[in-house]
Amino acid sequence: MHPVIRLVNRNLTISLHPGFLIWQVIFPLIYIFIAGFAYASLIPQIPFAGKSLDYPAFLASGMIGFNIMNSTLISGIILWNDRRNGMFQQILVGPFTKNHYIISNVCTIGIIGLVSAVLIALVGYPVFFESVEFSLLTIPLIIFGSVVGAILFGSLASIISLQLRSSEGFNVIINTVFLFFAFVSSTFYPADNVPEPLRTAFYLNPLTYLVDIIRAGIFGTFTEFVLLEMLILVCIAVILFTIALKLFTKLDF
Amino acid sequence: MPSCIVADHLSKSYGSLFAVDDIRLSVKTGQVFGFLGPNGAGKSTAIKLFTTLIRPSKGSLTVLGIDALKNPLLIRHKIGVVLQQPSYEPTLSVEKSLDKYAMMWNVPKPERKKRREALLRDFDLVEIRNKKNEDLSIGQRRRVQVAREFMHDMDLLFLDEPTAGLDTGARRKLLDYLKNKVKTGLTIFYTTHILSEAEYLCDEIAIIMKGKILTVDSPDALKSKFGKAKTIKIRISKERSDISTLLRDVSECIVDFSNNNNNNNNDNDSNDGNNDNNNNNNDLISIVIHSEQSELILSRVLKILHDNAIEIQDISAVPTSLEDIFLKIMSDDASGN
Repeated sequence: MHPVIRLVNRNLTISLHPGFLIWQVIFPLIYIFIAGFAYASLIPQIPFAGKSLDYPAFLASGMIGFNIMNSTLISGIILWNDRRNGMFQQILVGPFTKNHYIISNVCTIGIIGLVSAVLIALVGYPVFFESVEFSLLTIPLIIFGSVVGAILFGSLASIISLQLRSSEGFNVIINTVFLFFAFVSSTFYPADNVPEPLRTAFYLNPLTYLVDIIRAGIFGTFTEFVLLEMLILVCIAVILFTIALKLFTKLDF
Repeated sequence: MPSCIVADHLSKSYGSLFAVDDIRLSVKTGQVFGFLGPNGAGKSTAIKLFTTLIRPSKGSLTVLGIDALKNPLLIRHKIGVVLQQPSYEPTLSVEKSLDKYAMMWNVPKPERKKRREALLRDFDLVEIRNKKNEDLSIGQRRRVQVAREFMHDMDLLFLDEPTAGLDTGARRKLLDYLKNKVKTGLTIFYTTHILSEAEYLCDEIAIIMKGKILTVDSPDALKSKFGKAKTIKIRISKERSDISTLLRDVSECIVDFSNNNNNNNNDNDSNDGNNDNNNNNNDLISIVIHSEQSELILSRVLKILHDNAIEIQDISAVPTSLEDIFLKIMSDDASGN
């Protein structure tokens, strides 16, 4: 078995405890079925790429991207815990390299992100099934969004984790950053109708691109702009992954 | 006997500070090699170099015949390492952490189960096999950490203060376990603060201070090289309280009225049985001779005792311990000898 597969196996074993799984499913369900239907009375229909969507359908599709981002927290947590509990050094005096370690982390969050996306797509399906337009691009776009999004946000969580020395600091920073990403994005509301400075901020946020790509897959609204968003998402993911890798390689013992 | 670690002019510096300074070392295969030194001497840095966790600033290093600079990963496939700091997966049970660790080392599943069961028995972990690591005591966690390393095959094992946090029984059991493992061909590189452990376990010992290796030899050779001073203890009745006056002209000889200087042996275990004996001897005075010419001084003391009709209750020669040697080497180095 390849060293990366062995490390992914280990990462999944230590990460997938019941608390995390409940958090990954219950939290989006509350958003979709409580906030979604409650806000529906205020926001009856949302114009999206020439279509008109129910708010719960709009929110449920946004929650897929949101959940991918949330699940990548695990990357920072694995790294943080491994350093705190001595497993980081222990692994690196074993038959592994730093590259094995970081690639296994990325694969782990890729898998968790993908499973999380499928889970929310299944749970949210009754809400957005009327508007769904499956096409040849639906599955590839969701897979693309899950994997690239996982790499991007996983790298970001790793960078933050590598920079901070206290777990309290890590939790505060990561939650603040991810909260900002969640609410300054098109997860909960369309970017087109928000005031201008906020709209620009939306498009400085990679979660907006991730959510737009997932929605394009689900509602069959693939456009040239979505293609551009895919390219931007890949670029940001590559940059953040490279920074994470550099910081990781420089890490001394 | 071939060497499994060869370090030549090996250095590791952090800025202007040399944690390991130009060391030359050769560790023979199939032995327990002890690495002793005070806190901050460079022991852990040396282990990090030998286990390829860090790269040297200068010099060359070969481990198991493999160049550590060119192929560190190949070395790491063949070694086991128990680091000084605790390492554990908090949410995994003892049983599962052994199993997952072996999985990480690509040990086949049936073999994993076999080894796990044997190690749970050998390290007294059966009763806590389902306990999570985060719920274990420090000593139990340390036992799991050491046991875990035997889940995979290796040619060379690095143990950085493995008995830290272990009680006396567990410590002795671990040392005996290691002795048996060496008989099967394993080489062990062992660092410790507890000199009686090194004396009990190690075939060869290196003493490191301020990043430099001061000496390398077998415990017996170190004793004959550095332990020329012998200690002789004579016990007499407490009734002769004038003994200090009688011996005042004899140098390198002290009179101990407290009578609590047990045999100068640093192995705590070996003192356990001496308490009753000490209680019975509370009414005795000890005359302690510690000198490189102890025989000569002994004859002078015996003459004085004889001339004054003082009856000797007990006389013994205290063997030089590794701690004596260690302290002497340290003080010689500090004074620039």
